[in-house]
Amino acid sequence: MEGLFFNVNNGYIEGIVRGYRNGLLTGQNYSNLTQCETIDDLKLQLGPAYGDFLASLPPNPSTSTLAAKTTDKLIAEFRYLKANAVGSLAKFMDYLTYGYMIDNVALLITGTLHERDTRELLERCHPLGWFETMPVLCVATNIEELYNSVLIETPLAPYFKGSLSHQDLDELNIEIVRNTLYKNYLEDFYHFVNTDSDMANTPTSEVMSEILEFEADRRAINITLNSFGTELSKADRKKLYPSFGRLYPEGSLMLSRADDIEGVRLAVDGVNDYKTYFDATGMGQNSGPGAGNMSGGPGGEGKSLEDMFYQKEMEISKGAFTRQFTYAIVYAWVKLREQEIRNITWIAECIAQNQKERIGNYISVF
Amino acid sequence: MSGAGDREAVFPTRQSLGLMKSKLKGAQVGHDLLKRKSEALTKRFREITRRIDEAKRKMGRVMQIAAFSLAEVTYAVGGDIGYQVQESAKSARFRVRTKQENVSGVILPAFESYTTEGNNDFGLTGLGRGGQQIQRCRETYARAVETLVELASLQTAFVILDEVIKVVNRRVNAIEHVIIPRTENTIKYINSELDELDREEFYRLKKVANKKQRDTAAQDAEIAAKKAAASKVDSDKENESSAPDILGDQEDNDVIF
Repeated sequence: MEGLFFNVNNGYIEGIVRGYRNGLLTGQNYSNLTQCETIDDLKLQLGPAYGDFLASLPPNPSTSTLAAKTTDKLIAEFRYLKANAVGSLAKFMDYLTYGYMIDNVALLITGTLHERDTRELLERCHPLGWFETMPVLCVATNIEELYNSVLIETPLAPYFKGSLSHQDLDELNIEIVRNTLYKNYLEDFYHFVNTDSDMANTPTSEVMSEILEFEADRRAINITLNSFGTELSKADRKKLYPSFGRLYPEGSLMLSRADDIEGVRLAVDGVNDYKTYFDATGMGQNSGPGAGNMSGGPGGEGKSLEDMFYQKEMEISKGAFTRQFTYAIVYAWVKLREQEIRNITWIAECIAQNQKERIGNYISVF
Repeated sequence: MSGAGDREAVFPTRQSLGLMKSKLKGAQVGHDLLKRKSEALTKRFREITRRIDEAKRKMGRVMQIAAFSLAEVTYAVGGDIGYQVQESAKSARFRVRTKQENVSGVILPAFESYTTEGNNDFGLTGLGRGGQQIQRCRETYARAVETLVELASLQTAFVILDEVIKVVNRRVNAIEHVIIPRTENTIKYINSELDELDREEFYRLKKVANKKQRDTAAQDAEIAAKKAAASKVDSDKENESSAPDILGDQEDNDVIF
């Protein structure tokens, strides 16, 4: 049924996104990229995919400008899609940008807390998370004003309200603020895709639930692993876990009690996928080289947990394209594209720094 | 030898000769000591140069690893964490103190790095993703900074030692090529002047002696002449009197029978 009227409003966008998806770099492209000797070669190889955007780069550009230019393409395409989206798809795409918005607001909060000129920060903000009233936030000179204007001016207000007060912004570590916001955002997004009349019980809610559940679990596991050895208390940590996902509630509870990697492994034992990752990365044994190592990093061989997560995310995203009449492909496409940019940056870094032995560390699913 | 011009302006006296001699001795001892100091410093200098070379190579490697770990962070976090790290760093975790080292009288500052424990300002950065990479990257960069500090202390020592060695060598050369020859020259000059004086004195004495001799001779001659004249008058008188004194001092001819 859901397919009956889908194309009336969203057929064009779906077509475009599928077209974009075909423009993503394939394994063949990547192996060509890894053969490059210089950044200029790399630029040449990227020509078909990124031609217009890379044309203005000077010879031998830095990797960061390369990354910026490739991001520009993503932004341009995303904006085009957004301009053509109507109804619930437009709302869905708004939701997509909230994640970046959280990062931007966190950046501005950091700036305001340290009494910097926040206007300079605007250009550092992620363009996907840009919203029209963002410059207004720069007017605020103290944290209370900022808190009020965030509540009034941004779509993020619901995430602040109820869980953070303006004193919290002052006292809590910005990372905790960010992760609290992100948790609220994920929950809200999850709620949205499962209750919106256009999306409930459609492939969209199915695929998006899978993606978001995975994202929630990933954050929970990462937060747990990264908080070992920091001042983050277990109670505070528990508040950062999203209240859905495949680990929720038993896994989350066990995560909140975990003291070491072994504890995390026990917590995720119930979910086969994550258990496999932990076993594969050798973190099941206590002799593990430490969480989150990149593959080939000092002391770590094979893939790291983060790599595994990225890989899984890409596979879910790739899988999303097997479904039709769903908004999830937009989300999946953005994620695939981001990974592609990371891959390009990684390869460019490897070439620039002459560290060819680890150049194959990118994640390619096509 | 640059001739008589290159000497100190002294009066050629025995006293200044003594002064000069002790000065020469002092200069030679000083020269020896300075030479030894310069050698010790040069030895140290060579060692430092070698260590700088090593440290620089090490720095190259460490910085490469560090830059690469930053690339890893960029990959894992997927964004810019620079600003956040900048803002959340409140107090220095990695500190440097200096101590002094004495190498043959030259004071070389040596930097020593240490980390203050329990100072983890951005421990929560990348909590959502990439936190491990960030912590590792920080450790890598801490090692890189350590190498830089080591290199900095070596370089400072290098510069200071270079300066000092130059000064010492200049002194050694000055003593060797200017002061010692000049003192030697002066001594030689004084000696020659003194010899000259000696010779003059001798000649003068000789002259005086000659003169005296001549004078004495003349006087003697005069006296002799006077005597002779007087005795002539006497004998004339005696001859005139022609009365030989039998009891006089003339010996009587032995009477031979």
